[in-house]
Amino acid sequence: MEIPYTVKPRPDTGLYNAKLGIWLFLASEVMLFGALFSSYVLLRVGAEPGTWSMGLMDLYVGAGNTMVLIASSMFVVLAWAELKQGNLAGYKKWKWATIACAVVFLCVKWSYEWPSKFKHYDVWLNDATVLHEKFEKGYHAEAKRLASEMKLSDYGDAHSSDVEKHVEKIYTTRFFKEPSDASKTAFKQGWANGTLALSGHINGYREAVINVQIGEWDAGAGVTQDEAKVAVNTQGGDGDQAFDGGGPVLANLDYEAAKRAEYVLGQAGFKVTLSVAKYSDRVDAHPWFWRTPRLSEDIGGKPRVHSIFLGLDHSKDEEGLHHQEVEIETLHISRLSAYEPKHSTFFGIYYTITGLHAAHVFGGILIMLYNMLPIGLGLWHRDREQFTNRIETFGLFWHFVDLVWIFLFPILYIL
Amino acid sequence: MSDSHDSPDFINDLVRLFYMVGGVLVVGTIITFAIDLAFSLPLVWAAVIGLTIALVKASFVVAIFMHYKWDKKLIMITWTMVITFFFFAGMMGLIMWADGDAPNLARKEMPTIWVVLASLLGVALPASFTVLTVKMLSQPAPVEAAVPKPRRASKKRIN
Repeated sequence: MEIPYTVKPRPDTGLYNAKLGIWLFLASEVMLFGALFSSYVLLRVGAEPGTWSMGLMDLYVGAGNTMVLIASSMFVVLAWAELKQGNLAGYKKWKWATIACAVVFLCVKWSYEWPSKFKHYDVWLNDATVLHEKFEKGYHAEAKRLASEMKLSDYGDAHSSDVEKHVEKIYTTRFFKEPSDASKTAFKQGWANGTLALSGHINGYREAVINVQIGEWDAGAGVTQDEAKVAVNTQGGDGDQAFDGGGPVLANLDYEAAKRAEYVLGQAGFKVTLSVAKYSDRVDAHPWFWRTPRLSEDIGGKPRVHSIFLGLDHSKDEEGLHHQEVEIETLHISRLSAYEPKHSTFFGIYYTITGLHAAHVFGGILIMLYNMLPIGLGLWHRDREQFTNRIETFGLFWHFVDLVWIFLFPILYIL
Repeated sequence: MSDSHDSPDFINDLVRLFYMVGGVLVVGTIITFAIDLAFSLPLVWAAVIGLTIALVKASFVVAIFMHYKWDKKLIMITWTMVITFFFFAGMMGLIMWADGDAPNLARKEMPTIWVVLASLLGVALPASFTVLTVKMLSQPAPVEAAVPKPRRASKKRIN
């Protein structure tokens, strides 16, 4: 079936069909993104002071990505202009440039902006005194240095006041960007109540080393004794001992092995008890997406992870500083979360909007590639005008994606 | 784009225009960026300035890059969007006027400025579209508009 009016405008609408179609599609997209934008603005406005962490956003990267998208928007329209003049080589040149820009944009998102958040953590403690201790440990040296560098006479001698000022500075840049009455009140409250979060990278942790006690064997489980023996042997125990009463212990297993043994032996009809023998020495790691339940998983009454080593953030304008590391025991942790969608409303809607936009960019790249390959270019050799129109309609879509980012940039990075 | 605009000269003019708009967009971004770095603006002003610049940039993209300026037949869609914007602005205004949520039975911060801002946005967006539309309507009719409409088939005809 041939689609009519691919080149000539349809008399009643005055547009060729594809263009009317794409505009209708864009109108529906406006409503989709309009709803998300309004939600963002409303949530932003309604947020309690100290909950909206837009100070985390890297303005330079955001502005850079905006420039990249603007350039790609230019290139796509230039590609169309070349086609209008019958110059396929020029079209290809600008189109490759557009694709390159789109890829750069996605790479920045995919390899820098999002992953750096997924590896970053907030840790809330359940005790204000412990929290202040950790701050003291982490920030004392830096606060001292900062005080001497800035020649702040009002810092005084008391350590805690140095540290408090330092923490306030970090807190303010993250949640308020600049000091204000609201920021001061919110900080004072958070400091007094101990509701501030320690934030930074997890550099390492100490995990449980587990003993697995094999208990009574249940003959009614539908497993023969021989099979049960084999099951014990596969887990590194002595199968013959398992029925001697008292039962053997699989000693010093790591978490994975212990859990596997618990499952296999449980299937074989044994009663199995896990207990923490000791905690390992520090294991270096940079985990993604950890949450509280992973740390505090109950193993014979003790948590799975004894403590994490958190390299604390320093404030943005202190270049070249090390992340000061503190050890935080799991029993003090009330909540731990990476900067993932589950972290807070801010990150929830942040990933929703930027993710949807990135999906549009990705779709655009696929369509552009199609229009560069022989299968897409076939249309150019059959009907030049129709191909030109196809590129124009794609351009309309691409400009819309650019438009969305034009609004996203101030909303996410400046508001 | 209408057929009357396909001459090589016109395309050359267009390309010049495209570069100009690209320049406008870059300058707009730099201004937004610089203002945020140079001044510590309160939320309200950051929003007003940031969104206004974004609006100007967006208008240029729609008008020039998306050839809206020359597509005089998109008026139906324009009006659909205008009405949609008014609808959303009204909806946002309604939410803005909410008194507060449990357990905070009243808002401490005065939200009035946000109501004003939302209304401003709601007026500014459709206003820019309206201005564009009026401008387009005031231009002479395009050539292909002279093509006579095909007559509608009579409803009574059975075959």
